[in-house]
Amino acid sequence: MFSTVPKPCIRSISNRVKGLTSLYNARSCTSHAGKRADNMKKNMTRYRFIYPEFLPDPKIDFRNPVREMLERNDMIARRHQIDIPEFYVGSILAVEASDPHTPGKVQRFVGICIQRKNCGLRANFILRNIIDHQGVEILYDLYDPCIQKIEVLRLEKRLDDELLYLRDALPEYCTFDPNMEPEILPEDGDVPVNPIKVKLKPRPWLERWERKNLKGLQDLGLNERFYERARAVATPWEKYDLMKEYMRTIPEEEQNEILGEVQSKLQKLDVTKKRQKRKRVFVKPTKLA
Amino acid sequence: MSINFSSVVSKCCLRSLEDKFVFLSISGNLGQIREKHKINPPPRLRNPTWFTKKLRAPSTELITHENKDFLKEVVQDRFHDKVPHEEITQIEWTPDLQRTGVIARKIGIYPLWFKDGKKITTTLLQVLDNHVIKYYAPEEFDPPRKRVGRIKNKKGCLLLGAEAQDPSTFTREYCGLFKDSGVIPKKTLGRFFISPNARLPIGTLISAMHFQVGNVVDVRGKTIDRGFQGVMKRHGFKGMPASHGVTKTHRRGGNIGGGGEKGRVWPGTKMPGHMGNRSRVAKGLKILRINTKHNVLWVSGQAIPGETNSIVYIYDTKLPLRKPEKPLPFPTFIEPTDNLPEDIYDESIHSFVEPSIMHNES
Repeated sequence: MFSTVPKPCIRSISNRVKGLTSLYNARSCTSHAGKRADNMKKNMTRYRFIYPEFLPDPKIDFRNPVREMLERNDMIARRHQIDIPEFYVGSILAVEASDPHTPGKVQRFVGICIQRKNCGLRANFILRNIIDHQGVEILYDLYDPCIQKIEVLRLEKRLDDELLYLRDALPEYCTFDPNMEPEILPEDGDVPVNPIKVKLKPRPWLERWERKNLKGLQDLGLNERFYERARAVATPWEKYDLMKEYMRTIPEEEQNEILGEVQSKLQKLDVTKKRQKRKRVFVKPTKLA
Repeated sequence: MSINFSSVVSKCCLRSLEDKFVFLSISGNLGQIREKHKINPPPRLRNPTWFTKKLRAPSTELITHENKDFLKEVVQDRFHDKVPHEEITQIEWTPDLQRTGVIARKIGIYPLWFKDGKKITTTLLQVLDNHVIKYYAPEEFDPPRKRVGRIKNKKGCLLLGAEAQDPSTFTREYCGLFKDSGVIPKKTLGRFFISPNARLPIGTLISAMHFQVGNVVDVRGKTIDRGFQGVMKRHGFKGMPASHGVTKTHRRGGNIGGGGEKGRVWPGTKMPGHMGNRSRVAKGLKILRINTKHNVLWVSGQAIPGETNSIVYIYDTKLPLRKPEKPLPFPTFIEPTDNLPEDIYDESIHSFVEPSIMHNES
């Protein structure tokens, strides 16, 4: 599945933050005020996808402002230690983590992100790859201090929010080269969406995928009665249920407040990192073995 | 079979002897004794003195904004910066001394990591603005239920209040509880049994530093109210099969007793009923981190009774093997908290400020 031709480009959050800094600097000029406000708004909406785990659990029973604030502070403190890049379900990642069973080494795992779940310090993601004809999945906590490095090898999105159906797909759809080089994307473009349609193995499956309204699947080749049942249990009216939508999400004003605070802190972090980078002296690596 | 001497005596018309024989009457079946409840009355349950009507009916008085502001000012002037007159004398703590607990709020759950890379789920408890309101010495404290026999080392009772609120929302009687202390009336009260040495002056503020990192606490809370529940949820019964000819008994309890001599439902049989909303104690929880700025304790585990944002009471542990090794601040932590670091971690906990964990060959 992995292509050997490098795709056009990786962008880091730092570039985006840089863009935002310049926005702030331009505050003095008043002529573009409306445009700037629009830009700010656009950035905020983008931050919602870049840092989804900073938004708290919308369930009102679990919410507490003090806890959320402490949690965000811890997350930012951890982000000062390692760079957690922007990635989405469908992106290919390499994670280096220290493991108590292999002391003194870091384990590197390359795979496709098939799910991102939970918020706050509990945020996690699942990487999947096929190694020696065996499907392997690892669930990493995003803020686990054992993680040494998270690298995005290919930044892209897929047609669906969850790719759990890759477990039932033909192996070529989730086999990735462990020695894959990071691909570079052009700066300040949108994240590309990979329109690939996955072919599943014949039934039995882990879940009834025909009922999930998935876009990234090829024709499933099922009997008509499966689709009839899927239509019968579908709840297409739910997307018009405003109350449900309200309970399921954080209001926009609150999102802007949280993300604005987070963004200003991460921006400071970026500046300090750059300063440190400039100070760093090149050390010639010693040849081992 | 009973022999009633009194009837025999009265028939013989020996009235003079009757009174004397009455005492000797052997009767196993005299029937109802009048006024028996006065001879051995059941203990009368009396509520503690601080159980008064708390909330006042919301008034419909129309007050102007200026007057409202004025009332706020009056409250602020009256209750601002009250410091207890008495000074606390610190005593060396010994394991047989009982300190006061605190009133806290359960504010949520999130993971921390140990230095060896293991994850632990912790519950965050925010210690509220605990002020001492009243102290009852061992001899003057009159518990609603008396214990039989002599009590050794009788404890005193310390009444704490938490969460200050506008006094105009409370009844006059409730506000009267706070009159002597000079503390602004509080929403929540809690009583803690303490050794007489652990007595704190009225008006003392207790912070999260009352507890120390690495020590073990017990937390009391009210469990989540789940309403009337069946046996499967309430007692974890297995239920019955979903199919194979089973009709109308899928989540039912089944048999509740035997026949013959045991032909009745035995007391304590597990049956459907109300679940939750009872006071329960989670014991042996270790304090892993303390935030001194927001008065938050991180304690191990996620099974602390109560919903998020519910009130809990934190005590030093009663478990004999988890008693602290180092002496505790007794009767409470009184040093100024300004110079303390914001976050205090247990030595086994990885701070998020530290670099990533690397497992090295040892």
